[in-house]
Amino acid sequence: MNSFSMYAARKSGLHNLHPLTKSTLALCLAIAGLVLPGNWTGYFLVLCIVFPLAFWGKIFTRFSRSLWNVSLPLAISLFLIQSIFWGESEILFTIGPIAFKEEGARFALINMGRILLVMSDFILFAMSTRPDTLMISLKQAGAPSGIAYIIVTTLQIIPRFQRKASTILDSQRSRGLETEGNILVRIRAFIPIILPLVIGSLIEVEERSIAIEARGFNSNKKETSLIEIPDTNTQSLLRRIFIIISMLGIIARIAWQLLI
Amino acid sequence: MFDSIKKEFTTRTLVLIPIAIAINIAIGELVVRLKLPVYLDSIGTVLVGALAGPWAGALTGALANIIWGLINPFAVPFFYVAAVIGLLAGFAGRRGAFEKESPQWLSVLIGAVFVFSLTLFILAFTNATTDETGFTSYPAMAELFSRYAVIFIVAIVVGGAIGYFLLQKGGYAGIWGLVTGIVAAIISAPTAAYVFGGVTGSGTDLLVAAFRASGGNILASVMAQGAVSDPFDKMLSFMVVWLVLRSLPARYKAQ
Repeated sequence: MNSFSMYAARKSGLHNLHPLTKSTLALCLAIAGLVLPGNWTGYFLVLCIVFPLAFWGKIFTRFSRSLWNVSLPLAISLFLIQSIFWGESEILFTIGPIAFKEEGARFALINMGRILLVMSDFILFAMSTRPDTLMISLKQAGAPSGIAYIIVTTLQIIPRFQRKASTILDSQRSRGLETEGNILVRIRAFIPIILPLVIGSLIEVEERSIAIEARGFNSNKKETSLIEIPDTNTQSLLRRIFIIISMLGIIARIAWQLLI
Repeated sequence: MFDSIKKEFTTRTLVLIPIAIAINIAIGELVVRLKLPVYLDSIGTVLVGALAGPWAGALTGALANIIWGLINPFAVPFFYVAAVIGLLAGFAGRRGAFEKESPQWLSVLIGAVFVFSLTLFILAFTNATTDETGFTSYPAMAELFSRYAVIFIVAIVVGGAIGYFLLQKGGYAGIWGLVTGIVAAIISAPTAAYVFGGVTGSGTDLLVAAFRASGGNILASVMAQGAVSDPFDKMLSFMVVWLVLRSLPARYKAQ
């Protein structure tokens, strides 16, 4: 099935963890990176926690390639903007009339650590968790079934919509719509493409709501699930610890900010 | 209160939300393929707000960004901004902004005021001076007006033309879009500045750089960048939804 996610199927301990354990860990790491003091905390956490976890999940190659693709443009942009346009301190080096300054470069480097941590954290989670198991576990933890329906359905229909948009683009082109050229031409091309897409999908809403109501969507009976999600007591303890650490981190940071 | 929230989430709304999120993503990618200088990635969110109400709109926005995060982690920290966009679209819908036709002169006025204030904003920012203590002072308005009189007149004319030809009779939707864009720019700036150091890896980074070079700190530069690109982007999104709802069959709207 062509689905909208980064999930990489592997047989590993990381993949076998309960989805909620992984999501609370991801949350806890992201918050730790944002609230902990120190300039190099982000890099430290990526190297000592996220990378080993990716190894454990047997997704290290794919994980690092994807992290590289996402963060490289950010890193370049951040470095250029901060080091060229900011700070009056010592000049690192110059290319023609452009001077790269140390203060800005240092700032960029420090910020990049935080960005890397947040990015790698999410990628690790998305690659090792099947979206449908995440939804089932959320539902079992007491989340409203409407939310679960929305997320699972969205993941299934996004690829279909991307194809639909391409089809409309191609068919309007074959009717003679110009989609290349100067900006005015491209703006004018936009409306004849999105109107059919949006209106067509609104009409579809009606069919779908009749279909799911006919299949007992509004029933109040407790549902059963085809997929069993293994869970252990250790993991449920870990989840509580992660959540407590995250909350303490936020409180400590706010208190620290207010006191100093 | 809770009853009215619950009333928004009918089966139709629950079915509409995934489709709206897919629309967000499909159009967001289409815009990139057509190489247009906007995002337009919240049309579906605005649509749910307009059709189903503010809380459904807010939920759509938040979930859209979180789901987008499954392939683009960058969107996730901004989920609350998307939620506020959906919320405001819902309030606009309740006020009838997507149904009522505005007089054309109102659209001209809105366009003119918008481009005028944008110009004023950019000029004030690029003419700001910072002294040794790091205190930034902005130039007096009267001075700006006399120095850049021609630019301001051009701005008013261009804005009026945008209002007349682009907004047409959708002035109410347009003004709600503008307000939403301004709010979005203000509330997204702290996250953009603090979590990402002010960059997104896209073309708008150049704007941040320009404001940065003229002496603003990171937060101010990011906010300034947002204030330039967001209101226009959200105005377009609201206009598209206005157009869509006008071209819907009457039978559909009756439900």
